[in-house]
Amino acid sequence: MKCDWVQQNILFYVYNELEDDARYEVEQHLARCPQCTNELKATRKFHATMSHAPVSEPAPNLLAASRMRLQEALETTSQGGWWRRLIFEPTTWLRQVRMSPALAAAIFVVGFGGGIGATYNYLGSRQFGDQLAVTDRTTTPNPIEASAITGIRSITQDPESNQVSIKYDTVSTQEAQGSLDDQRIQQLLLFAARNNYNSGVRMDSVDLLTQQPNDIRVREALMYALQNDSNPGVRLKALDGLSGFIRQDPTVRDAVLRALISDASQGVRLQALRMVEPMKVDSNVRAVLARLAQSDQNPSIRSQAKTMLAEVPEMD
Amino acid sequence: MPADSYAVAITVGSTIRARRAEQQSGTQHPTIRGSLAAQGNRIDDTTLIREAQQGNRAAFEVLVRHYDQSVLRLALHLTGSETDAQDIYQEAFLKAYKNLGSFRFECSFYTWIYRIVTNLCLDHLRKRNVRKEDAPVAVDNSGEEYSVIEQFADARAGANPERDLMRRELGSKIGAALERLTPRERMVFELKHYHGLKLRTVGEMLHTTEETAKNTLFRATQKLRTALAEMR
Repeated sequence: MKCDWVQQNILFYVYNELEDDARYEVEQHLARCPQCTNELKATRKFHATMSHAPVSEPAPNLLAASRMRLQEALETTSQGGWWRRLIFEPTTWLRQVRMSPALAAAIFVVGFGGGIGATYNYLGSRQFGDQLAVTDRTTTPNPIEASAITGIRSITQDPESNQVSIKYDTVSTQEAQGSLDDQRIQQLLLFAARNNYNSGVRMDSVDLLTQQPNDIRVREALMYALQNDSNPGVRLKALDGLSGFIRQDPTVRDAVLRALISDASQGVRLQALRMVEPMKVDSNVRAVLARLAQSDQNPSIRSQAKTMLAEVPEMD
Repeated sequence: MPADSYAVAITVGSTIRARRAEQQSGTQHPTIRGSLAAQGNRIDDTTLIREAQQGNRAAFEVLVRHYDQSVLRLALHLTGSETDAQDIYQEAFLKAYKNLGSFRFECSFYTWIYRIVTNLCLDHLRKRNVRKEDAPVAVDNSGEEYSVIEQFADARAGANPERDLMRRELGSKIGAALERLTPRERMVFELKHYHGLKLRTVGEMLHTTEETAKNTLFRATQKLRTALAEMR
């Protein structure tokens, strides 16, 4: 009976697809069983025969010709349709479209999946201009007057009232005040997390966003910050904000695993490692831990990964 | 702007500035391409993808370079035809370019692009199957028809003509045996045997499970062994 199982698996043995325990069993059996050993020989012969048609590298001029042809085609191809408008490009947007600060703030959120319907809604809705109450430094009499948001200056939260105060620039500096539940405050926070050149402001906005991670757009902004922000402090903050979701949301788990594998900052990696620790029975997490335990450059991470793996119960 | 402002890992701020410059000049900013290509270590795919998703064609081209040789290799070995391989290459990367917006990093770019290529290869194999009555024929770059099964004849011309003949015969046997497989079986075998991919990856590329890929490989090898034995 054992021979049946082994013969089923000899092919995968030859192709190096067996798990370590299965491979061990096959080898043990082969040492005692001449029949199965013959089958192994036959399979290896088959493998050798088929390898007679080797894969060759494409000729360099074929590759070059293909690349040129592709390049020509790309010049005339436009990237797909609707999704492009959802990408967060507020600065270029603002250059091209003259609109009131209220509308500008509203449009930023489109990048997080509002959808084309939402864009047109915002654009079409006149009422929006009235909803944003701005404390204007210079007198802007009319929201329809052209101006644009060029950056967020600062974000502060009053510890007592939890009111958030955000200073943002248009042609003149504007200020929006409100609580965290306020939609315009949320919009500006999302903008700030992605787009401000000042890491301190990005940090503040990510910090405040972590208080609202149930919103899918906020989660996406946090993952974006974790993956892309140049400042490790901001990435750490984003990681903290995502900690509540690592169990329930596989995209969060994967984002954290990616940070664990490849973040430039050791601090961020260690924090990511701590965060996945309670999930070490998850096979994706285990696979990453195994890789780290074996070959990571950082000795602290290597040893912690090894320890975590050792604590996992035996495979069935 | 100094060239090295583009040579660092792309941060949010310089990204916007770089894009602005590109759009204002109306042509691709040469520094981006130069520094992106010339950097000592490969730029992370993630960075390139995000850039490409924002419309940076230079970034997409660098991304393509990371994978295009192995894509062409696969298409060439599978189809046996330079023309067909080029067509598959073109279609795959254009499709990738058009659909890059829907790439959400749920898998690696490698898996994603290979999924596209694999499906195009499957389409090719299915079309070829339709004409099974004719001996499989392909057209090379000079327009000459040649028998596809000859593709597997080992091209090395040895000193020994008898051995060459044997090699050519073996090549055509292999080709004929492979023709017996269904497109999926052929694809799984190709990816596993000739390109060394793990069956788990093969499963992902074909939108199926590792277990299914394993079973498909098993069936394919049974068929091949039978075919080779019959031809002896």
